[in-house]
Amino acid sequence: MAKTKEEYKDKKMMPKGQLESVGLGLTGACVAVVAIVVVALIFMVAQQGLTTFFADGIGFGSFITGQNWIPSDGRFGALPLIVGSFSVTLLSTLFTLPIALGSAIFVVEIQPGFGRKIFQPLVELLVGIPSVVYGLIGLTVVNAAMRSIFGAAAGTGAGILSGAIVLAVMILPTVTTLSIDALAAVPNAYREGSYALGCTRWQTVWHVVLKSAMPSLMTAVIMGMTRAFGETLAVQMVIGGVEKSMPAGLLDPAATLTTALTSGLSNATTGSVEYHALWSLGLILLAMSLFFILIIHLIGSKGAAKHD
Amino acid sequence: MQDISRRKFLGLMGSAAVLAGLGVAGCGGSGSSSDSGSADAGAGDSGSSSLSGTIVCSGATSFQALVEDAANKFMDANPDVSISVTGGGSGQGLSDVKDGKAQIGRSDVFAEAKLEAADVEKLVDNQVAVVGMGPIVNSNVDVDDLSTEQLKGIFTGEITDWSEVGGTAGPIQVINRKPGSGTRATFEAAVLQGATVPDSWKPVAEEDSSGTVVEKVQQTEGSISYLAFSYYDDSKFKALSVDGVAPTAENVESGDFKIWAYEHCYTPADADEVTKAFIDYMLSDEVQGELVEKDGFIPVSGMKVQKDADGNISNK
Repeated sequence: MAKTKEEYKDKKMMPKGQLESVGLGLTGACVAVVAIVVVALIFMVAQQGLTTFFADGIGFGSFITGQNWIPSDGRFGALPLIVGSFSVTLLSTLFTLPIALGSAIFVVEIQPGFGRKIFQPLVELLVGIPSVVYGLIGLTVVNAAMRSIFGAAAGTGAGILSGAIVLAVMILPTVTTLSIDALAAVPNAYREGSYALGCTRWQTVWHVVLKSAMPSLMTAVIMGMTRAFGETLAVQMVIGGVEKSMPAGLLDPAATLTTALTSGLSNATTGSVEYHALWSLGLILLAMSLFFILIIHLIGSKGAAKHD
Repeated sequence: MQDISRRKFLGLMGSAAVLAGLGVAGCGGSGSSSDSGSADAGAGDSGSSSLSGTIVCSGATSFQALVEDAANKFMDANPDVSISVTGGGSGQGLSDVKDGKAQIGRSDVFAEAKLEAADVEKLVDNQVAVVGMGPIVNSNVDVDDLSTEQLKGIFTGEITDWSEVGGTAGPIQVINRKPGSGTRATFEAAVLQGATVPDSWKPVAEEDSSGTVVEKVQQTEGSISYLAFSYYDDSKFKALSVDGVAPTAENVESGDFKIWAYEHCYTPADADEVTKAFIDYMLSDEVQGELVEKDGFIPVSGMKVQKDADGNISNK
């Protein structure tokens, strides 16, 4: 409990030394709880997930590259699920990015009055809508739209495209809000400098604002992707849930790592190979989100260095 | 400025981590509450003559409503007994009763199909009802009867157009239940008869619940799926007869309609007094003669045929 020089200088603090250590204890306990939860979580998922490879004799390579997920036959190829997860994530990001970026430019550069006062609160409202609501809307509106547009080729209307559309709407508020923050964080001096050189507004936005906000924009996109990657319920309701083989097209029903994990869990008995394989899916998910977070940190520190 | 927005992101990450933590705590919580339930039940049967204690009954959702109805009546008659009926699926029910987290594990399928032989021996199989299942199609499909062979062709991807089975031409949209679902296991055992589904073929959807199957079949033109009789609703879809036999309780009882399964309530071999009393109540005339039929199931006592864990059917 060594006290720093500042605390000794502050005469008022001296009689409250006891209080100080209580405060340290309380906040320290909070930190400890968070740390324990994180470490325990990673440890547990890793321990159960690795059992598949070390105790049940399923090769890691065949688990990752196998093209058929049929637990009842003892076939655990997670590739269809990995492909499903990545395709809905990337597609939804592709749908969302232009819209989010466009509205961020509108709010920050073009109509800050309307944008800041009306549009931004509206978008932030969307963040709080529970995913089951998006799923329900997807089930009734998006799936029906797919059926009427593509006819019998769309089957029930459930598939990768439906999943990506629902996810795109879900991550839109996150990406938009973070993009607005990113653009607003560009120092005004940059814009003024650009105008002083005779650049038009478009040139300023394109070459100066977007360029210097790039690291934060990347972070916005990756935050959106993280949410899309981990989303379960809404996707489960609209993607069709077919895990057995590789999806062959955007209208094909598929499954993601998260949907396979949730629906598999109700049928797997504890200690069975299937149960361990589901934990392995969890391990892949965990590894992916750690990877996303790592990228955010890398971009963040790089961006900070640039602005300084 | 950059630092502020970075901190914001970190804040977001932090809240995400907290949410994840809460989720984990939630899971742990439900597990431990079942544990304390079994402890209560253990304390409850220590010698007293009037019934008291706690029963946790988890597992299959297909006949959860039936068990809930019976549990409510049982608790009315025995105020000191508390029965909590939770879902989770057949696998969960069997896991819970095997691991001692629940006193009763509900399952649509024989425990032999999911557990190791050594674990099955420690459990007692109480067959509390029979459920009939049959193929259903979208209301616009102009086919009323399919043979078992035709069903086998449709659900293995060999028959893909309604014109091949006597209907108006149009693609057959197969909607399956998830692998591991008791309904699917029963349907496939009766219809596929050992035939394997080729890897290259897949259905247009695999649904987690019977409720979504109802919705999807109702909405999707040319679709076919299968459901338990208790979900049948002529206003939403059309139920097919199989090999000319209508899907009715009478035809299941006589053994003419082949697609049916037992609803199992598994208990440990050393079940406590209150659990045994509840199982006895489930098998009594009060439940079998009234509730079972009211909820769309078939009493076991009326069956003229029986099925063993390997799916062999014999006359009683």
